[in-house]
Amino acid sequence: MTQSPKPNSPFATHTARSVSLRIAGLPGAAIVLSFGLVLSVWALLGAWSEVPDTILPAPWDVWGAALELWYNGSLLTDLGASLGRAGIGFAIGSTLGIGVGLLTGRVAIARVMLGPVLSLLRPIPAIALVPLAIVWFGIGEGSKYFVVSYTVFLAVWFNTHHGMQYLPETYLRAARSLGATPRREFVSVMLPSVAPHILAGVRLGVALSFLSLVAAELSGASSGLGFRLQEARQYIRTDRMFALLIILGALGAAADFVVQRLGAKLVHWEQA
Amino acid sequence: MRGAHVKIEGLTIRHGRSRDRAHGADIALRNIDLDLQPGSFTALIGPSGCGKSTLVNAIAGFTPPAQGRVWIDGAQVHGPPPEVGVVFQQYALFPWLTVLGNVRFGLKQFRLGRRAEVERAEAALAEVGLAELAHRYPQQLSGGQRQRVAIARTFATGPRVLLMDEPFGALDAQTRVDMQELLLALWRKRRATVLFVTHDVDEAILLADHVRVMSHAPGQLVMHYQLTQPRPCKLSRAGRDLLMLREDILGLLRPPGTFRPEHLS
Repeated sequence: MTQSPKPNSPFATHTARSVSLRIAGLPGAAIVLSFGLVLSVWALLGAWSEVPDTILPAPWDVWGAALELWYNGSLLTDLGASLGRAGIGFAIGSTLGIGVGLLTGRVAIARVMLGPVLSLLRPIPAIALVPLAIVWFGIGEGSKYFVVSYTVFLAVWFNTHHGMQYLPETYLRAARSLGATPRREFVSVMLPSVAPHILAGVRLGVALSFLSLVAAELSGASSGLGFRLQEARQYIRTDRMFALLIILGALGAAADFVVQRLGAKLVHWEQA
Repeated sequence: MRGAHVKIEGLTIRHGRSRDRAHGADIALRNIDLDLQPGSFTALIGPSGCGKSTLVNAIAGFTPPAQGRVWIDGAQVHGPPPEVGVVFQQYALFPWLTVLGNVRFGLKQFRLGRRAEVERAEAALAEVGLAELAHRYPQQLSGGQRQRVAIARTFATGPRVLLMDEPFGALDAQTRVDMQELLLALWRKRRATVLFVTHDVDEAILLADHVRVMSHAPGQLVMHYQLTQPRPCKLSRAGRDLLMLREDILGLLRPPGTFRPEHLS
């Protein structure tokens, strides 16, 4: 379990740093222990059980499949294609999400016009959009960008919009009484106030970009990790599926870690 | 820089809740007249929820009046006037700025240039004894230190009217005494017109030369005491007159029907 920092620490910067390290993840020992346990159970099952390899491949088979994908060059191509789609879709979606969120959060007419529609669109799962995206944008890159950026947009929009509803009134009053112009009030007070909410939305957006990416690639793609998964199903290469799924998990965790660390630097005052 | 003249006439403020309007329950302040002479120090005291903060918000230009007007030196208040400084109970320091950054925030409006701005902010911090903490963040400071920063931030802009909304309410007793001394020292130098909201009778008597008492909601000013001690105010205001005044104010603040010691005899 995590322990809270000493309340009377005279070196508060120190405290803040240890807090961010704690958030970043479990202690290294716990990670090793957790993976070690799962791996050994998996290895035991692989060595002694009668479960066929097409249902549960052994760890060394999965490792072999990963190496195979690496050496025949498809893994690098797939990684490039998938990360490119996730990255571009995420960039478009989060930029629009922040922009529209600030707008609907701040401008009454935008809130009235867009708010209800966006709230209605929010519960639609990404995978349900794939057929429509293919009709609109074809099976090329366009439909992937669309599905990813759409899902990311809604998550980031919602958090930004929500954050704008709860701007601390005293900050705004303090800014006004200290002679801030509306523009400076927006840039120097509202934006930092809402930044923790935006960050929460962006973090969610990163996770969703992988989710929706694979959904988009499962149907109608000629490269990418999702496509390779689908292909592995056709050849009943369960070992490849495991390798690809593990890679997807690791990628998502790594992306979340990076965003979380960058965010903690950016929103350094929010260390609760 | 002298204090400004604050004049309030027939001020009525309603809450935003329109469903209360029919039976008048939305009225926060009713028909307030108030005149604060330049350079005076007025304590505003009243039971919690009576509308003291609402009055401060109206003078600060945060809340538009339903009826009546507020003038600062003859100019009617519409938005936050530049000559009015506000110190909030919750400090309202920006956590994303350092202590120095917070003080500089209020100085941007004067377009001083970086050097002069930093110098003036550092001078303001030195005045409240926090020069060494300039590069810390507010959340790394104690409550008393935070309120010092807030006071420095407000004083640095040279306000001619200073509104303080229970600024020391969240502080422990000793820190509170230190802050009161600091405030009086700063005020003696600047002579801004001060309106100081408190629910502490002793604090009001200690600091102010005018004490205004406000009634339960809807808020109305029911009593005005003028303290005649010579200026500058001494911290050791004692004596029979003040004790009687204190009892008097406490009596006004007690809602009718509550227990009083004399009922026992």
